[in-house]
Amino acid sequence: MKADPVRRERLVEVFLTAPGFVWLLLFFLLPTFNVLLISFRPSTLTGGIGEGWTLDTLQQLRNPDYPGILFRTLWVSLAITVSCLLLSVPVAYFLARCSQRWKTRLLLLIMIPFLTNFIIRVFAWKVILHPEGWLASVLAFAGLIPPGTQLLYNVRAVILVSVYTYLPFALLPVYAVAEKFDFALMEAAMDLGCNRIQAFFRVFVPGISRGLWTATLLVLIPNLGAYVVPDIVGGHSSSMLGNVIVRRLFSDRNLPHAAGLSSVLTVLVLLPMIVVILHRRRREAH
Amino acid sequence: MKFRLLNLAAALMLILGFTACGSRKPVLRIYNWAEYLSDEVIEAFEKEFNCRVIVDVFDSNEAMYAKLKAGGGGYDIVVPSSYQVVRMAREGMLLELDHSQLPNLVHLDPIAVKFTQDPEHRYSVPYLITSAVIGYRADRMDTGPDSWAVFADASLRGRMTLLNDQRETLGAALKFLGFSLNTVNPEEINAARDLLIEWKANLAKFESEQFKNGLMSAEFLVVHGYSSDLLQAMEEDENISIALPKEGLSIALDDLVILADAPNPQLAHAFINFMHRPEVAAENMEWVMAMSPNLPAYALLDDAFKADERIFFSEEIFAKSETIFDLGENDQLYINAWNEVKTAP
Repeated sequence: MKADPVRRERLVEVFLTAPGFVWLLLFFLLPTFNVLLISFRPSTLTGGIGEGWTLDTLQQLRNPDYPGILFRTLWVSLAITVSCLLLSVPVAYFLARCSQRWKTRLLLLIMIPFLTNFIIRVFAWKVILHPEGWLASVLAFAGLIPPGTQLLYNVRAVILVSVYTYLPFALLPVYAVAEKFDFALMEAAMDLGCNRIQAFFRVFVPGISRGLWTATLLVLIPNLGAYVVPDIVGGHSSSMLGNVIVRRLFSDRNLPHAAGLSSVLTVLVLLPMIVVILHRRRREAH
Repeated sequence: MKFRLLNLAAALMLILGFTACGSRKPVLRIYNWAEYLSDEVIEAFEKEFNCRVIVDVFDSNEAMYAKLKAGGGGYDIVVPSSYQVVRMAREGMLLELDHSQLPNLVHLDPIAVKFTQDPEHRYSVPYLITSAVIGYRADRMDTGPDSWAVFADASLRGRMTLLNDQRETLGAALKFLGFSLNTVNPEEINAARDLLIEWKANLAKFESEQFKNGLMSAEFLVVHGYSSDLLQAMEEDENISIALPKEGLSIALDDLVILADAPNPQLAHAFINFMHRPEVAAENMEWVMAMSPNLPAYALLDDAFKADERIFFSEEIFAKSETIFDLGENDQLYINAWNEVKTAP
């Protein structure tokens, strides 16, 4: 009657992972599947979900405007991600080389804005980018823009404000890896003939690649589904997929159509994750 | 030890239970447009009926409808525009009103009937009459606009907004073109769509919430907005003015309705009746800056307020203005046109 130790270990494993698995199943997998199902239901003009099944939504998703919006969603999200990474690598390098005292202080400075509500931080940009605000005045004085130019409500404003709000999400994982990086490796590279810049790009950057991938996921994925920032500082020609989903839902009362677009978004979000997972697998296999 | 802990927990639950009971006043939940109900009126109602009032806000009839339809809410009172009342009643979302609990209906101004598709008040009681007008910064413009054509003015590029509302904004374009804002003629709707796509190049954005703040901070110089909001802004900032476009406008009647699944229908009836007490209606009118169709309340108003034709529209304005009505199946024409406006480059 002695319990098989291997089987026992399995059982413990199942019990330990069960709560998380059930949670994901109930609150993530099933709702996502439900959204996918709704996109194959007919819509009613009164905002309900009709009986039976249809491919109407699939047909409607071939709307000639959608490729443009999809493309904008992709390139804006990528631009935000790349900008965040470009900013966080030098900052993380600097932070990692700081003395412990300064590290704490500077990290605190990065975290403090987080204590302010997200919406308020976004609204603050409306003051900074006001067409008669100080920034516009300085730019107009320098002759870069005509006076009274609207700096808000375009794609550039969306990218700028998104980079600002998502920078800590990129900086912290990059810093976490950079802090563990062995800087003696850079000295070794320089001993072997690299100059400082070469050492930075050929030793430091590959050394923190794990942090870069995490940062990419943390910034890219939420921005693919962004709604709030393009809604507040974006204009009439910078709506992203998230904004279109909201419009289909609220203004058109077309639930299946919104569900169809959401399913497209889900696929879009899964793709970068799959890429990163495959990349990690391949690296671990090496 | 275990026993003591259990006892402690039981005692705690008892205390919590009692305090919760002690403060449990009846609650009235209202789903309303922003700044569309006087704070003092709410306080007076809470005091008189020994209850708590919770107000949530929406920024378009469509958004409100979608939220309620998706099962959101738990609201008692909602304030839809009259065209939306028809749709909600048809969907069985509204409670049939008990007129024996609404004696103040006798005060209603018969003019309100012109704007509603529910003239017998089976489901709705007229609340306030407003319109969508043009607000502008008088300090930044030599002459104020007098027509919807201002949105074609490229010199104001990036500093103007139109409402983010399919019926109101297509309606403004239809009015400018001389068509009815309830037209179901696809050619007329398409002409309005094309005009809006032209105007869009001059807009900062389509905006239903921030037009008032934007105008006050001079971020926007010309906005399409609701008269009550813009009149409130004028009170706070003397540089703001209002223009009633010469082509005519959309006059909206917003109604008080009770939801079919309202948790507290009796208190909701009491609230509707309360809002049509002449002194309450007058107080609310002066706070919101909109006209409540309540005959005896007019006598209680300031003369200057009564003479303001942006609140009490003249015959001339009534004659060239219209009210948005529910178009049933034909709504799809507006939905399609609006989507094309929004996605056009």
